Amino acid sequence: MGNLRRHHPRPRSSAAGPLDDDNLLSEILLRLDTQPSSLPRASAVCRRWRLLVSDPGFCRRFRLHHRRNPPLLGVLDKFFDGDLSLLPTVEAPNRFPEGGLSLRLDDFFVPIGCRHGLVLVFLSLDSWREILVWDPITAEQHLILLPPGFVTRGGKGMINGAVLRAAGDDDDIQVVVVMADKGRPHRRAFLCVYSSKIDLWGELISTVLPSMSLTDVACTGMPAVLAGNSLYWLLVGKISVILEFDMQKQSLALIQVPVHMLEQGRPLNWIMRAEGGGLGLLFETDCSFQLWKRNTDSNGVFSWVLGRTIQLEKLPFLNSEEKDMRILGLAEENNVMFMRKGGVVFMVHLDSLQFKKLLENDPVTYYEPFESVYNTGNTMPSHISIIINPNYFLIIG
Amino acid sequence: MATREAGKKMIMLKSPDGMEFEVEEAVAMESQTIRKMIEDDCADTAILIPNINSKILSRVIEYCNKHVPTTGATGAAASDTVAPAALAEDLKIWDAEFIKVNRATRFDLIQAASYLNIKGLLDLTSQTTIDTISDNSLEEIRSFLSTKNDYLPEEEQTIRRENQWAFQ
Repeated sequence: MGNLRRHHPRPRSSAAGPLDDDNLLSEILLRLDTQPSSLPRASAVCRRWRLLVSDPGFCRRFRLHHRRNPPLLGVLDKFFDGDLSLLPTVEAPNRFPEGGLSLRLDDFFVPIGCRHGLVLVFLSLDSWREILVWDPITAEQHLILLPPGFVTRGGKGMINGAVLRAAGDDDDIQVVVVMADKGRPHRRAFLCVYSSKIDLWGELISTVLPSMSLTDVACTGMPAVLAGNSLYWLLVGKISVILEFDMQKQSLALIQVPVHMLEQGRPLNWIMRAEGGGLGLLFETDCSFQLWKRNTDSNGVFSWVLGRTIQLEKLPFLNSEEKDMRILGLAEENNVMFMRKGGVVFMVHLDSLQFKKLLENDPVTYYEPFESVYNTGNTMPSHISIIINPNYFLIIG
Repeated sequence: MATREAGKKMIMLKSPDGMEFEVEEAVAMESQTIRKMIEDDCADTAILIPNINSKILSRVIEYCNKHVPTTGATGAAASDTVAPAALAEDLKIWDAEFIKVNRATRFDLIQAASYLNIKGLLDLTSQTTIDTISDNSLEEIRSFLSTKNDYLPEEEQTIRRENQWAFQ
């Protein structure tokens, strides 16, 4: 082999052109599949590929490129005061190891939701002073003090939030916290947005909540829904109200669900991203799931339209004697629903209605689908360099 | 090719091998590089496109012609009767045919798309390249892309061990 190489150096094929250019090669590698095994495998092709896909800039661009089609990696699972763990729902060779992707803190903590590969956690439940953004893949943690108004106004069960990466800027981590106060004569909903880019909270934004028999306006603990440029939270009360935060206009509004829609089935427990991207509602009836969409006509007038009805008989695993069916979570990018029935957790693709059994006898208390690209298997060996964002507060453990 | 519409501004693109292509300005402006030249008034009547031979340049123009938004007089006839979803589907089918080229041509198109900054064409050519290797072993990937494995055997073993799960 050595001889062949010496006597017949292979002329560089002109066909190899773009692959010799680092910029073009990384442009091509950006399109690699988003499944977890993808980048570790690319790293094993040759040194240059490893260097390229290990570059923090590449990782950022890879995440941004696949922002709209992240794979459903797994579920975040937490039992009371235990660790918060990311359990994979993907199959080999994408089944990343479970160990290590856990969050353990000394104090009791409450996960609020996740998006764009980040998890929002509320700390110090009694005082509501701090929140933590955790990246399960890189283990980075970002501790943030709540804005002063929220510390004094807060109360148990009254606060909710969302975490996301800013549109078009993957480095800008944004946290939105929202709460309803007990103020008189009017209850108000307050919201505040944090941006990691400037490491500051913005102005408080508020809106008056309807007074009619809302004895228990509180955030439900259900995760926020991101649809278009807006975040949505379902508020608990005697009437169903959805809080809408338009991130572009930085405005807060209330959406009331028409009473006649609520008479059809059980109370509205889930809001979701509808097919086509707007706000959707999920109603459970005795024999079906009804998926409603909020449509806007050319005059900007909203209406609710029944999109799909999924008959429960299409989901054979529900046909057991036990009646304890419960929806656990919705993966908004992959349109997958997680459900629990008879102590068993299932995931159902709402498009195809294909389903898979995940866990048996899992004592679920918190359960949240986690959608993200997986880009840690390609980090440089630790003796070369670890690049840490100096804004991150790190807890190594 | 379609006959020239009255009032359409035309622009001349020249390849280094001496060929000239007269195209509508809107078509040429699918390339962000050319758009910038035109907007900065750096383009007179003809623009020399270095490094892109006439064969590749003609394919690039063919792509831009197909992808230029069909607005105004020329596009009205087509887009009035066809729904946007159907148009997108038509483009997808057209793209799939367009990219049925050999590897050398595809790589030339990647370089051209990058130089001329035509996002759609760069997406199409890069994605096609990745798709051709997506289900292959490491050895096949190296062979398809003429990439040499420069790891020592023990280094490759270490790298595989680091993320053993990804190689199952």
